[in-house]
Amino acid sequence: MKWLPHLLLLATLAPPAWAQDWKVDYGKSEIRFVIKQMNVPVEGGFKRFNVQAKFDAARPEQGQFRVDVDLSGIDTGSEEGDGEVKRPAWLDVAKHPKASFVSKSIRGNGAGRYTVTGDMIVKGRPRPLSASMVLTPQRAGGWLASGRFALKRSDFDIGGGEWADPSVVANDIDGRFNILLLP
Amino acid sequence: MRERYGVPLIVMHWLILLLIIAAYVMGTILEDMAFSPAKLRLYAWHKWVGMLVLFLVPLRIGLRLAESLDHRRGLTPFEVRVSAIVHGLLYLLLIAAPMLGWLHSSAEGFPVVWFGVLPLPDLVGKDKILAETFKELHEGSVNLLVTLVAVHAAAALYHHHVRRDGVLARMAPWLRSKS
Repeated sequence: MKWLPHLLLLATLAPPAWAQDWKVDYGKSEIRFVIKQMNVPVEGGFKRFNVQAKFDAARPEQGQFRVDVDLSGIDTGSEEGDGEVKRPAWLDVAKHPKASFVSKSIRGNGAGRYTVTGDMIVKGRPRPLSASMVLTPQRAGGWLASGRFALKRSDFDIGGGEWADPSVVANDIDGRFNILLLP
Repeated sequence: MRERYGVPLIVMHWLILLLIIAAYVMGTILEDMAFSPAKLRLYAWHKWVGMLVLFLVPLRIGLRLAESLDHRRGLTPFEVRVSAIVHGLLYLLLIAAPMLGWLHSSAEGFPVVWFGVLPLPDLVGKDKILAETFKELHEGSVNLLVTLVAVHAAAALYHHHVRRDGVLARMAPWLRSKS
């Protein structure tokens, strides 16, 4: 067993620091949000989005996430809302069809909990955003990345003009996500 | 013998009339209104007023049951029967119309937060087909309610102006001098 110390030395010198590109099971993934209208919580979500998750399962802190959301597939909880929210005063989907989140840092908080900080870009405006995230290992391999984030629509000029009044449509948007990552 | 109903019942009668007129006018305006902040506000007020009617009607029925005045006095047996049917249907629709509105709102996926403060439970889960059904039933019940209110008012005016028997004055004591 003369080679064993060498192997151990090699293991400490060369940790498996390769970051893995995880596949996404979109059928079991969702990005949803709740926004209050006249103080009534109304749930919505996105039908189409793309997630790039690149991290080493042993140290996700060094990983990177990118999420691109197709805003034409927004579901605001009502047909009237779906039509309205694509107009220039809201998301201006014709000019800005995508909203993106690009992570800049991932901080581990222990027990599979992380804080992901990065830039949220809506209508071409990048604003800092931080999301809480839990990585749960799946029995069949892979991870469930679930978490929450909060953003203010006024930061992105979503719904200005006559819609600016937060007592009708709240300024706070409460986002949730569940992304199933497969190896 | 008393010639009018108790004051709480009289107040409740006219208050509920004002509330259903308000809810009906708002509901009618909402039908053709373009999506706007004003529409969301009006929707909320329509629901809040409707829920107020729903919660006041049981109180009103309680007051009516506790009322000792014999409303059948001076009526023919036929009139007693017709009046019982119309009143029974009015009470039923005063509950059914807002209840169906609440069911419609629940099925559309919009909970009712009463006066923006008190969240009311969802009666059914979000369901597009169910929502359409409840919408039509709500409109149908409201149209029937409005028709019966008109019949009820016409009968009251007939008693007041033709029969001059004080039947309307029992619920509108300020008219007594005329009877």
